[in-house]
Amino acid sequence: MSETSTSPELVLEVKGLEGGYGQIQVLHGLDFHVADGEIVIILGANGAGKTTTLRAVSGMISRKGSIKLRGEDISSAKAPDLVRQGVAHVPQGRGTLPELSVEDNLRVGAYIRDDNEIDKDIEQWFDVYPVLRERKNQRAGSLSGGEQQMLAVSRALMSRPSLLLLDEPSLGLAPIIVAELFERFAEINKETGTTMLVVEQNAQLALGIGDRGYVLESGAIFTEGPADELINDDAIRKAYLGV
Amino acid sequence: MATTSPKFLFTEGTNRYRAYKIAGFALLALLILIVAFAYNDTGSITLFDNSYKLSITRVTKSISFMVAILGLQVVAGFTGQLSLGQGFFFGTGAYISAWLVADQNWAWFTSLIVVVPVCFVFGLVAGIPALRIRGLYLALVTLGLAAIFPSLIKLDFLLPYTGGAAGKTVDSDFIPPSWLPLDGMINALHSLPLIGQYFGDGEGMSNKEEQRVWTFFMMVILALICFKLVSNLIKSRPGRAIRAVRDNETSAAVNGMSLSFHKTMSFGVASALGGVGGMIYVSELGIASEGDFTQLISILFIVGMVVGGVGTLSGAAIGGLVIAFIPDWASSTQNLPGIPERWLQGPTGGLILGIGLIVITFVLPGGVISGVRKIRGRFVEVLPKTPAIQLAGAGAAVSADESDIPNDSLGSESPDLSTTVDES
Amino acid sequence: MELFLNRISDGLSNGATYALIAMALVMIFKATTLINFAQGEFAMFGGFIALVLATERGLPMWIAVVGAMAITAVLAAGFERTLIRPFDPSDHLPLVIITLGLFLGINALAGIIWRFDPRAFPELFPSGNALTWNTVTLSWYTIGTIVTVAVVAGGLTLLLNTTKIGLAFRAVSSNLESSELAGIKVGPTLQFGWAIAAAVGTLGVCVFVASPFRQLEPNVMVTGLIFAVSAAALGGLDSLGGAIAGGLAIGLVQSIGVPYLGIPSELSLLAAVAVLMLVLLFKPSGLFGTPQVERV
Repeated sequence: MSETSTSPELVLEVKGLEGGYGQIQVLHGLDFHVADGEIVIILGANGAGKTTTLRAVSGMISRKGSIKLRGEDISSAKAPDLVRQGVAHVPQGRGTLPELSVEDNLRVGAYIRDDNEIDKDIEQWFDVYPVLRERKNQRAGSLSGGEQQMLAVSRALMSRPSLLLLDEPSLGLAPIIVAELFERFAEINKETGTTMLVVEQNAQLALGIGDRGYVLESGAIFTEGPADELINDDAIRKAYLGV
Repeated sequence: MATTSPKFLFTEGTNRYRAYKIAGFALLALLILIVAFAYNDTGSITLFDNSYKLSITRVTKSISFMVAILGLQVVAGFTGQLSLGQGFFFGTGAYISAWLVADQNWAWFTSLIVVVPVCFVFGLVAGIPALRIRGLYLALVTLGLAAIFPSLIKLDFLLPYTGGAAGKTVDSDFIPPSWLPLDGMINALHSLPLIGQYFGDGEGMSNKEEQRVWTFFMMVILALICFKLVSNLIKSRPGRAIRAVRDNETSAAVNGMSLSFHKTMSFGVASALGGVGGMIYVSELGIASEGDFTQLISILFIVGMVVGGVGTLSGAAIGGLVIAFIPDWASSTQNLPGIPERWLQGPTGGLILGIGLIVITFVLPGGVISGVRKIRGRFVEVLPKTPAIQLAGAGAAVSADESDIPNDSLGSESPDLSTTVDES
Repeated sequence: MELFLNRISDGLSNGATYALIAMALVMIFKATTLINFAQGEFAMFGGFIALVLATERGLPMWIAVVGAMAITAVLAAGFERTLIRPFDPSDHLPLVIITLGLFLGINALAGIIWRFDPRAFPELFPSGNALTWNTVTLSWYTIGTIVTVAVVAGGLTLLLNTTKIGLAFRAVSSNLESSELAGIKVGPTLQFGWAIAAAVGTLGVCVFVASPFRQLEPNVMVTGLIFAVSAAALGGLDSLGGAIAGGLAIGLVQSIGVPYLGIPSELSLLAAVAVLMLVLLFKPSGLFGTPQVERV
């Protein structure tokens, strides 16, 4: 896996990103970047194109424009190949495999790995989320929403990614669980140096752990800045953060 | 041919458009006449030493398939319910009319008085599962229905009516009315220069031949009535409703359409048409036997619908020709250069149809008719009525809608002509 | 009572074959919610390949069967790649039409190559009876078919639960998008499912026609497919265990129910179709299937 970097190398550099579904174009030329070790937040109202942005980056939809992963163009790569290049994506609404056991979900997360530390990593995630250990033989579909989100995140991290894409991890979860989840993201970021690009509606919480943020409006970047500036910008607070 | 050749433009409602349609209709009528007389056991085509006898009874058989596929178009093409059970109703119609004609001395056409309502009701009943299940599950259930038909007719209590494994033989022919000068007509055609040799021997027709021609005429008229009725049905309010069901069930329901009513009705109509097709089939063949009504015939109807063009009326006509003639031609062809004889002596037709079905799905998903329309679209364009008043967008929407379904029975018959001519 | 026991034995051996073909259907349905209408014809073709390998190449019968399973697996994988994968998996109509085209094409091809005369198939199991009490007999054939089903079920369970490709297959069956996001290549994984299904189906037909009372001919699976579909639906279309239970149940209904109710043997197909209709109408998830399947 990647060495601990000394210079703030760009993990992800996106220029003029366009994308959508069939005839409908959702993204109209986005420029953004994520530096190594950063947590970058993408905010925006419903329908602004946040989810589409992540899907375009991870190769789930066809897209145009330049997407560079550590300087290498990935704009035509497909999702399964990007995982091998260190991009993990937790899709909206949990990305678990409901018919599979909790443990098998984690093994699927390690699908691209050939090393013999998979069992060790599974144990490590069971230590982070002990509730998953208790339920390791249960079907993932039988877990609660919060537990499924923990599982989805752990599953994504089982691939030992260098870039983690999180799509609205707070969706449909109780506030206390969300707070815990985000705390954990910050910890993971510190401990493993995993770079994160997080799409969120819960701006307060997300900017709380984020380094920088972008605000998306109608498929274009409306504004950007360091997280603590965005969180204090009155106009943004009113218009997008719902405070 | 230059690709930039000017198109013939026709505007709906004008005399020119009417003339275009009448020309199409006249061409169809002419073709029917030519087929009827030239085909009457006199013609044959020779391809690499293989003589294929062009018999009019084969055309009549293809008409029975056309009507059955027409029914399939109603339920699968227009309503989007994947039914693999059309053979069941085809068989039901065949056996009912065989029994009525053979044992009750009914006339073939009067047997429809029973066949149509019975098949309609059977179809309604078979359509009930479609209210609960969709897609693949419906395909499974209807395939099961098709598969049990041969077993059903061998049930003990039905044996007196169906003849069981031996089949039900019917010895009743269509006798042409004495006022119709069929002999004179063919002799007149025979005396024509150049093409006369294809029309009989100048000595009139035997009784058998006259009966065949007469059967053909009757069945053509019956089929035309069926096509016209379905065409009207498709354009009617309920017809638009069933197409709405196909395109989007939820929005159709939101708009206040009764899904269950229209879905069930389309099964009923489809099955009634299947029954009519069965009657035509058995009246031409003279025997109803279980081997003709296995699930294979249901699958062949699907082949016909897909190869002709899903959701089109003229596709049903093409499909009927395809599934009647390809196996027939293949089984009569015993040698072709470059192909080992062994490959021509087995069920070559099935192989051709199977491969053809796959190839069409890949290269021409709209079926043969979509290809024909594409070619016709290069030369002929029909403009919607009073386009000047409508907004551009609305006009486009109308023509898009029109191209989705057959323009109408007459307009869409004309492409059939060319195909039929190619076949013969 | 003795007759009853004999009929159970018959029913189990028939049911075992339906179970094998049903398992093949389920393998593909699990992953793609598609029914391969050509599954029975794949299997019939495999049966002929086994026969050719045994009689014309002189291979020992079981080696020939395994060889035929491997050959049909490769053929099915090729069909998946060329004919199935180009289509949108969520649009069933073109896919069903392709499988119907394969049904017609393979049936005709077998008819062209091998003709429609029934051929005797070498026995796969010892002839005669393993057990005899008075008039009650249990033939080696019945035991053989049941052991075969057990071995296949065990093998599939091992394959799906302990191998990496098995894990990928279960993942794709469960959630296609999340599987892709975990780096699983969906196409090759489904191809694996088609190959396994074809191999299992081939084994099913070989076992079926290895009965001393049956012969191999190109139409042997035309109605066999209907029985297998009923079995799969009864068990729940996405449950391998359900396919076995469904197959045995249909086999038993066929051999016990039908003669005891005094109805002609024609009715065994009717009974199977009635089961199919009732299950799909009132409990589409079958006895052991996942209820979500109702969404289809």
